[in-house]
Parts: sequence; C-alpha cells; structure tokens
Amino acid sequence: MKKGIFKMMLVICGLIIVNTASAQISDTVSNICARHLESQFISDGQQYKALLMNSDETAEFHTTLYGGTVYRIAACSGLNDGNLIFSVYDTERNLLFTNSEFKNAPYWDFKIKNSLDCVIEAKLNGSAAGSGRAVVLIGFKQQK
Amino acid sequence: MRLKLFTFRGTFILLSASALIMSSCGNETTKETDELPPVDSTQSTILNVSGEIFSIPSPIQTAFLIKNSGAAYSKEVINAPSKSAQYSTNFSKAMNLGIYGADLGYVTIFDQTQDAIGYLNAAKRLADELGVAGAFDAQTIERFTKNLGNKDSMLVLTGVAYRSSDAYLKNNDRNDVSGLILAGGWLESLFFATNVYKIKPSEEVKRRIAEQKTSLQSLIKLLTQYYSQPEYTEFVDNLNDLSSVFDGVEFTYSYEKPTTDAEKKVTTINSKTEVKITPEQIESITQKTKAIRNQIVE
Repeated sequence: MKKGIFKMMLVICGLIIVNTASAQISDTVSNICARHLESQFISDGQQYKALLMNSDETAEFHTTLYGGTVYRIAACSGLNDGNLIFSVYDTERNLLFTNSEFKNAPYWDFKIKNSLDCVIEAKLNGSAAGSGRAVVLIGFKQQK
Repeated sequence: MRLKLFTFRGTFILLSASALIMSSCGNETTKETDELPPVDSTQSTILNVSGEIFSIPSPIQTAFLIKNSGAAYSKEVINAPSKSAQYSTNFSKAMNLGIYGADLGYVTIFDQTQDAIGYLNAAKRLADELGVAGAFDAQTIERFTKNLGNKDSMLVLTGVAYRSSDAYLKNNDRNDVSGLILAGGWLESLFFATNVYKIKPSEEVKRRIAEQKTSLQSLIKLLTQYYSQPEYTEFVDNLNDLSSVFDGVEFTYSYEKPTTDAEKKVTTINSKTEVKITPEQIESITQKTKAIRNQIVE
C-alpha cells in the first residue's frame, strides 16, 4: 500500500518537474526571442509556441497583417539564433518571404501596404537541432 | 523491501527538491546551455486548433488607426476602470482584462496619462485575481509609471505585460483564460472602430471593421472548444451571430511580388486586397458588437 502511494507520488513529482522544465524552456526561448523585438516594436501581446519533434514537422501560425504597419516577426528555438526556419505565405500559398534565403535570420521586418491574411510556417533547422520548442513573436509599429 | 522503500523515498525527496528548486528559479536564465532537454509532446501549444495556431491582431493597432482618423478622445468608448472590482467570475475577469488592455492602449495613444494609470491598475487587479503571476508586478508598474508621458515606452511596456500574461497562461495550461483575454481585447477594438465610424466615417475605419472577419473566425474556432461551459456557450453563440453578418463581407486579393532589402532586413508586401462592405452590414455589426460588449462590461 505504502509502496503504491510512493510510486504515485513519484509519478506526480516527475510530471511537475517535466511541466516546470517545459515552462522554463519556453520562458527562456521566449526571452531570447523578445530581445529581437521589444526595444523598437510593440508586442501584439501573444506568444506563439509549438513543440517540433524533428525538422520535418511544421507549425502553422495564421494571422492578419494590417496595411500601413511595419511588423517584425522574430522566430527562435533553443538558445542560439538560426535554429528556426520561418516562411510567410499568403492565403493562395504564394511565398512572400523565407529566412532560409537570409542565413536563417532570427527576425525580419515587413512593410505592409495593404492588409492581408497570411500563414507563418516555422520548422527546425535540420542541421542545428533534433527537436525543440519553436517560439514566434510578432511586434508592430506605425509606418512613417 | 526496506531498501526499496528507502530508494523510493529517497528518489521522491530528490525529485521534490528538484521541483522546488526549478520552480523557485522562475525566469532566471543564468545557466543557459545549447542543449534543451527533450520535453513532453503533450505540452503542445496554446491557440492550437487542429494543428493551426491563430493570432489575433493587437487592439492597440486599431487604437492607432482611430487616432490617425482624426477622431477625438472619448470616454464613451472605453470601460471605466472603477468597474474592475465588480467582476466576480473568471470569465468576466479574463474578458475585461482584455478589454482594459485595449483601453490602456487607447488612452495612452490619446496622451491621457492620468487615465492610463487607472487602466493599468484595473488590469493589474484582474490579472492578480486570475492568478497571472509576473505580468503586472511591482517592477512593471514602476517602469510604466517612470515612463508616463513617453507614449512609445508605455505602449511597449503594455505589449510586454500582455505577452507575459499570455506566456504564463499558456505555460500553465490555462488556454481558455488566454483566449478570453484575446477575445476581450478584440471585441473592444471593434467597439472603438464601430463607434468612431458612426461619428466620423472614413474609408480607413470602414476597412478596418471589414478586416475583422478573419480574426472573428479565428476567435470562434479558438473558443468553440470550451462551448460546453455555460458562459462560453452564450458568448460563442453571440460571436457566431456576428460572424453571420461578416459572411457577406467580400474580399478580393491580388498577389504582387514582394520586394526585399536584405541589408535592412525588410520585405515590403505589395499585394492588394479590395474590400466590399455595405452600410447595412456596418450598421448590423455596430449594433451586435455593442450588445455583446455591453453584456461583458456590465
């Protein structure tokens, strides 16, 4: 009976550790990513994250970008820049941008002339990471 | 047997101590390594519905548009911060935390510094009551207060506080609360736009109202997973009713090749979108938005 209780407590404890570690990894990656954003741009108030198990998995983020605005998209995984490849498509799947053409730049700015709905895809850089948490942040400022 | 029990107990104590240490470390990142430990795949993402993640544009963006349209500051379009004490359920607290975030952006953009403090305190109160740690802590309030009058810094700090809330809630599997905060902010920004359009119609504001079609669809997808909970049922039904009006709003998109300045790390998106929305649709959206919003803030 006692053994059973200890086993159960052990499992609960393990889950707490995994959950705490997971949250702290997210926080750490997010804080690294925020450094690319929050000195010049206003965060949209959201943190987009996805767990990617390998470089074949892709996370999709759907958003609307408003005309007359400059956006910065920052994308991070792990503790170094360049671990995440992100691409921006319109709803007709035309590729508008991919950081893979720019040495996996961890952030990029977008001047939007007319509002559009788009899809941001993020995947791990296969040569740099096995699995990891992808964090994408979006900031904006008014176009001058 | 005795030895085994001791091993279990020892392991339990060790794991407990580890959990406590990790919890107490909070956001400190002094020992960063490149290798991240593998994590539980069930700890997936928030706002993730069928493998898609939805982003709702910041309500602060619409507040900017309102100011640029030449509309005057009006307390009629914002929710009084004094009401923050009357919200008793987590649902109303979360919705109004989102609403106060939009209002905080609005008053800041209109240089109403003293009002901004009231909205910051209202947001802090609701965040504390919802158990959102860290987002509106003493340090954030102090930084905000020190930057009173510096609009850009105040808006950046507002964005940081709301992103921190969002991150905290997502990390603690409280996606429902996170979704409600987004919904509150979105609803308030649509309320700004429809009110201003009534008083001072402009093409830009009309267009912004129409552009809420996709965000509304995203919010419905996001909140429908909690539909069985009574407060959500009515709210999602109301959003669906509003969405039925947006169904008639038409968009025509035409792709144009973007231009990129690699040195400045900037890509200009040149595609065009035409929008068709009728005066009747605007009127219906205005009435329905007002009714939903009033139900939330009362």
